[in-house]
Amino acid sequence: MVEELRRDLAEARDQQAATSDILRVISSSPTDLQRVVAEVAESAARLCDAYDAVIWQADADVLRLVAHHGPIEVGPVGQFTLRLVREFLIGRIALERRTIQVADLQTEIDEYPEGRDHARRFGYHTQLGVPLIRAGEAIGVIAVRRTEVRPFTERQVELLRTFADQAVIAIENARLFDETREALERQTATAEVLKVIASSPADVQPVLDAIAAAGCRLLGGHTSILRLLDGDAMRFGAMFSSTSTSPEVAIRIRQPLMVSADAVPSELVAKRKPVIIVDTETDHRISSANRDIARGRGYRSFLAVPLVRGEAVFGALNVSRREPGTFADKEVVLLQTFADQAVIAIENVRLFEEIAQKSRELEIASQHKSQFVANMSHELRTPLAAILGYAELMQEGFYGALSEKSTDALTRIRSNGKHLLGLINTVLDIAKIESGQFSLNLAEYALDSVVETVRVATESLAETKKLSLKTDVAKKLPVGLGDEQRLTQVLLNLVGNAIKFTDTGEVRITATAMNGHFTVAVTDTGPGIPPEELKRVFEQFHQIDNSNTKAKGGTGLGLAIAKQIVEMHGGRIWVESTLGKGATFQMELPIRAEDRKGPSAS
Amino acid sequence: MTKRILVVEDQEDLRGILRDLLTGSGYEVAEAVDGRDGVAKAQSERPDLILMDIQLPVIDGYEAIRQIKADRNLKATPIIAVSSFAMKGDEEKARASGCDHYVTKPYSPLQLLRIIRGFLGEKV
Repeated sequence: MVEELRRDLAEARDQQAATSDILRVISSSPTDLQRVVAEVAESAARLCDAYDAVIWQADADVLRLVAHHGPIEVGPVGQFTLRLVREFLIGRIALERRTIQVADLQTEIDEYPEGRDHARRFGYHTQLGVPLIRAGEAIGVIAVRRTEVRPFTERQVELLRTFADQAVIAIENARLFDETREALERQTATAEVLKVIASSPADVQPVLDAIAAAGCRLLGGHTSILRLLDGDAMRFGAMFSSTSTSPEVAIRIRQPLMVSADAVPSELVAKRKPVIIVDTETDHRISSANRDIARGRGYRSFLAVPLVRGEAVFGALNVSRREPGTFADKEVVLLQTFADQAVIAIENVRLFEEIAQKSRELEIASQHKSQFVANMSHELRTPLAAILGYAELMQEGFYGALSEKSTDALTRIRSNGKHLLGLINTVLDIAKIESGQFSLNLAEYALDSVVETVRVATESLAETKKLSLKTDVAKKLPVGLGDEQRLTQVLLNLVGNAIKFTDTGEVRITATAMNGHFTVAVTDTGPGIPPEELKRVFEQFHQIDNSNTKAKGGTGLGLAIAKQIVEMHGGRIWVESTLGKGATFQMELPIRAEDRKGPSAS
Repeated sequence: MTKRILVVEDQEDLRGILRDLLTGSGYEVAEAVDGRDGVAKAQSERPDLILMDIQLPVIDGYEAIRQIKADRNLKATPIIAVSSFAMKGDEEKARASGCDHYVTKPYSPLQLLRIIRGFLGEKV
């Protein structure tokens, strides 16, 4: 009894020591699965008083040897596998997810025929195995073996279960770590491809190259090739290879592939699903010519995924590997993700080109329009010159004396003709602005004489409306540098508008100079401009929409041109107004202007 | 002595205005309808002043002015260029070709008359 207690105590102590050893290894190297399971196997063999311990990990339909400690031969760790079948004791433990002990495996011909052969061949008798259970699934088996017939005690069985739990933790740790690392790699690669897509909106090649490279690297491939469907053929798009490629092979890879002549692209196009070739040597979809290529290049398996847009396949991305074997689901998903990114990139470039093409067409159309307007204005001015010329000669008496009524009629003809000429010149100015031909003729000018010219030109108009037209020009203004004719045009427009929209009161022109700038203001006592219109009055074709302005007419272009002229002088123009109390149009001009190319008014 | 003015202008209506303006003001008028004709008439008619349109068929006004100014006998004859171009650089181009004055269409006939009289040294 005492002896038994002492033994229990010793076992418990050993068990605790072993457990803590293993936990220390697990926590110090969570990623080194090999080292942890080796430690578990060693402790299990020692503490269960076995000669030998093995750990197997389930891998699809086999059990792979991942650790072994002891003299009984098994096979190379990491490579040796057993079929996952009931005929092996290990297989049955995994399949039935329960602990099984067989006192003498060498005699178990009925239950474990394969296990018996194995036990006989390698010379062991008693074997105890515990399944490695994670989330109800057997992910492997830990087993201890003896070369004689000597069953393990209940306590040793319990001990082995503890080791089984530790092995599960170790395997699970390593798996989580791998998954995290893979996810991170995937994310990094995806982010890199997206970065390339974003940085080359006009050129798809860098994106295709990045995708081929990422696909090949992440799947541990031999070579990755991206092809684009062009009619009946797959045209070369991009390639990445982990090995060097001879010039002859590179040329052959760049040849278009006839889809109908090749089973794999045919299948991709028809089914729009990934195709896996587990072994190029045995797969009937590989032609003998392609098999030769695979041999020459040194690959045995590959995965191909389609590039799908809408319902149609328009390309393929494939990754080959040196070894035969299938591709994991997550690898297929990953490669498909890259293929989808290629689709996005290609679509981006197509849209980009479409927009660029459209805007080129628009620009050409706009230039044609501007040229047409310029030509048209010119054509309109020629007959107008004849009308104005003859009217003037007639009025001046070149064709004989005229009655008062005839003289009056000729005055009206000439006045309307000049108005028409003004409109044509306005349209021509806009056409010049739009076609970038609008420029300034800079020369020295006197601002007071510009004001005086405008006053003289608009005097009679103000008189007709019984408005008082006043000028308030500072004394001794400096000599300006600018386009006098254009500045006169601007001021004429402002004063003309002020007179047009004011029915009673006055229109005043003020001019001052300060800090290297002229300030010219035109103030009226008209109806004023609503606040929401203050900025928009300088837009092309914009007219304040009310019955008053409609009755006054105009092209709605004068202020847009004025703004352009002032800005080309490096100045600015704006309006301040209180509804019902009139408006002040003001411009600030550098006294010495430099011609700056005006922004296109489009 | 009646002074002679050569009008080089392809548009009949505009030629008509100048013809009426100038004959009505006491000048003799010679007419040409294109640039080459203008150069030939300048040589045969030996005018006192030339009004030269710029946009002309066969050879344009710039070239016609250059050829006339290159003629030793015509070098001193004042040429007034008349153009409906009003783009930047048009006046510079006309002056570079050798014209003595530049007006843009549409011009006032009476203002043009004042300029012509100025060149001919007459009372304006």
